[in-house]
Amino acid sequence: MKRFPLFSWLWLILGLFYFFIPLISTIEFSLRMLKGRYTLEAYRVAFQDPRFYTSFGYSLLWAVITMVISLLLVVPTAYWVQLRLPKLRPYVEFVTLMPFVVPAVVLIFGLIRLYGRPPLVLTTTPAALIVGYVVLSLPYMYRSVDAGLRAVDIRTLTEAAQSLGANWLTIIKDVILPNLRVALLSGMFLTFAIVMGEFTFAALLSWPAFGPYIEEIGSMRAYTPQAVSVMSFAVTWLSIAGIQWLGRGAPGQVQTAGAR
Amino acid sequence: MDRDNLVAPQSTPTEVTNGDAPPARPHRRAFSWTWLGVAPFFLFAILFLFLPSVSIFVRSFEKLGGGFTLQNIIDIFTKSDIRSAYAMSLKVSAVTALGGAFFGFLLAYAVCLGGLPRWARSFMLSFSGVASNFAGVPLAFAFVATLGNMGLVTRIIEGIFKTDIHQAGFTIYNFWGLSIVYMYFQFPLMVLIMAPALDGLRREWREACENLGGTGYHFWRFVAMPILLPTLLGTAILLFGNAFGAYATAYAFTGSFLNLVTIVIGAQIQGDVLYNPGLGNAMALGMIFIMSITMLGYAWLQRRAARWTR
Amino acid sequence: MAFLDIKNASKEFGELAAVRDFNLEVQKGELITFLGPSGCGKTTTLRMVAGFEEPNRGQILLDGTDITHRPPNKRDVGMVFQAYALFPNMTVAQNIGFGLRVRKESDSMIKGRVEEMLSLISLGQKGDSYPHQLSGGQQQRVALARALAIHPQVLLLDEPLSALDAKIRVSLRAEIRAIQQKLGITAIYVTHDQEEALSISDRIVVMYDGRIEQVGTPFEIYNFPTTAFVASFVGTLNTTDAEVVDPKAHTLRLEGQQIQSGEGLGEKRAGEKVRIAIRPERFNFASEERKDNVLDCTIENITFLGSIVRVQVALGSQKFFMDTFNNPFLKLPEIGSKTQITCSREAVLILSH
Repeated sequence: MKRFPLFSWLWLILGLFYFFIPLISTIEFSLRMLKGRYTLEAYRVAFQDPRFYTSFGYSLLWAVITMVISLLLVVPTAYWVQLRLPKLRPYVEFVTLMPFVVPAVVLIFGLIRLYGRPPLVLTTTPAALIVGYVVLSLPYMYRSVDAGLRAVDIRTLTEAAQSLGANWLTIIKDVILPNLRVALLSGMFLTFAIVMGEFTFAALLSWPAFGPYIEEIGSMRAYTPQAVSVMSFAVTWLSIAGIQWLGRGAPGQVQTAGAR
Repeated sequence: MDRDNLVAPQSTPTEVTNGDAPPARPHRRAFSWTWLGVAPFFLFAILFLFLPSVSIFVRSFEKLGGGFTLQNIIDIFTKSDIRSAYAMSLKVSAVTALGGAFFGFLLAYAVCLGGLPRWARSFMLSFSGVASNFAGVPLAFAFVATLGNMGLVTRIIEGIFKTDIHQAGFTIYNFWGLSIVYMYFQFPLMVLIMAPALDGLRREWREACENLGGTGYHFWRFVAMPILLPTLLGTAILLFGNAFGAYATAYAFTGSFLNLVTIVIGAQIQGDVLYNPGLGNAMALGMIFIMSITMLGYAWLQRRAARWTR
Repeated sequence: MAFLDIKNASKEFGELAAVRDFNLEVQKGELITFLGPSGCGKTTTLRMVAGFEEPNRGQILLDGTDITHRPPNKRDVGMVFQAYALFPNMTVAQNIGFGLRVRKESDSMIKGRVEEMLSLISLGQKGDSYPHQLSGGQQQRVALARALAIHPQVLLLDEPLSALDAKIRVSLRAEIRAIQQKLGITAIYVTHDQEEALSISDRIVVMYDGRIEQVGTPFEIYNFPTTAFVASFVGTLNTTDAEVVDPKAHTLRLEGQQIQSGEGLGEKRAGEKVRIAIRPERFNFASEERKDNVLDCTIENITFLGSIVRVQVALGSQKFFMDTFNNPFLKLPEIGSKTQITCSREAVLILSH
């Protein structure tokens, strides 16, 4: 009954081809800046552009702000829903599905309409951008934290802590946060990957983030965009690898996000 | 023993002072704490998700100078360039959803149940995790480097088959080219979702089927496929929605050239020549509508799938 | 001629020998149980009969035909799994009729057989329900019906009751036995629960570490265990070492006191150490009528177990359990007091390893 699974191997190899060929092509392409030989010239040029650093810096800053806001919104909510208000769960999950129903372009449209003129002008500040990022990352942050809470049965832990006389601060510091460490870090990594790679919000709201920067050099130059793409891929890969390494042993979750 | 003295002190609602843990039983003070915990979340959702959506809905019926009109909605169905934008978006989404579902399922099957060594599965799942997130602008450029004029594959084909595919009419800047690129994040997503579903097919079902005289055909036809179908269809729908809402990848290819709904709306935002906010709203509404149906379909199928896997 | 004949079957998983040299002849119509702890090889052996594992060596013959290498879907054996394994997307009726549908039987025939099976398991009203709407016990009965619907030559049951509540287990095992006897079908039952095995089997195969320890009727296994493992696995048992005094007179010395066994010392020499075992229920308090094998001991503990009262006594450095029937009007000695207990000669079992 053990025949060689030819079909399976075939599919695996085809699948791997499809995945790897674009990557290899991009790397190969990025090395061909100077005619005739392979060099890292494209990377050198990329690193020499001051706007590379400024746009990367901006995105990094906004990524951190997004992470903080997202955590502050999600963690208490996930905790209270789990512990006290299970009836709210469907509503919360509905909210986390909304960003999918309202894609980025559509949301921007609505945001600009609503908050683009007095008295509530948000769109001239990065606030609108951050809002967009938070909306994008919300579903994944919530799912990550929720799964983490469920995995450690936070309700029982909290009750045990309370019966031992712990106050709120102790419970948060010594019971909740340590057990959520992995889930929180996963959510943060993912948010980071999302924001760094994001294009739609930044471009349409005209902010000098990393995404629009890549697009801009793409329309002006050759080879360098591919070099930056390789680096962007490396960052994505490291973030996801970080998440998977953190979550080793835990049941797998599908984390997909980012610009499409 | 005096039993009255042994009764536990009545648990009266204790005062919640700063720093003390709230009592286990819900009680007026604790309730306001709890609502405070979830309020910011919902406030945020209302302000930045619901209100914009409602605003879109309302303003879809707005005329250029103000006032109610159904013209925008009608325009969606009648103006040919808008119809073709929707058609194109729907086509790309459908094609990549079906293609992604089909190939993704086969790949998931191969690594989960296909008799391959264990490392193949974990490797493929990790890589799918990465690939499904590698989308947007960098992906577009990656494909330019692959299938563009100077792309690696283009050159390899030229080297081996001595044909320039671009002269033969191939280009990545059209419907098929875009579809090929979209597939890059579509079918890993399928693999990621189907793998756990395939793992959920318990070994005993297969053995019971064999024990009762069934072959592999019987198992798939009567047991596995019926059980997997909701997840399969649900994920295909998810892929559809995923592609429909995509913007960055398409824009990175050709700017506003490709006629997709997301691109057109984006152009409206950037102050296109035909600046008609009502129309932009209506198109946005159209998108919300389609995506809502997508999500409802997905949710319903999810529920059906969950029914059987206890 | 045995109906099911397993000859010298062995199965290894890499380095691990799961089943070693298994030999058994099963008669038509008997219910034989494989009993043993986890990892003893009982499930592996069952799966070899079902065809889900292939033996590395040995043969399996069913009614004279060699089925050792036949694929599982061509064997005409019916299997009941521990986790029920009902197809969740099919109704009860569809599950039961599945084997027949595969064999391309006519719709009317299938309908008739399904009804027959449903009444056999007393679930006549549940034909259109789905598995997840039924309780565990009901699901397992459906699994049984599904396996029986195809009229298999042998019925295999892999720990069918371990996922169920204790009360259901007791009633369901009686039901399974009744159905098996009513249909006269040959069955192999795997379990680690010795009470289950004792109550329903025609014969029991006690297994340990991949090997058969003993084969016999429940009565034989319980009362005349031949190895230390069987004696300790089935029922509670007091075991200890004793020294042979006189093999011909069957006398032994235990903690300085003399004790006589019924037999079994034939080949031993004086001074040799043997392992003896005595069932707790074979002990009694010494009285006028009971004068055999009187032993002095001290009462250490008395546990009330309902119908049985378990008395723990100390005999020198050894601790023994004595089970006596509950009698509310019988005064038991106090803890710490000295008393005398007795058992018959035949109750002293000599164990071989």
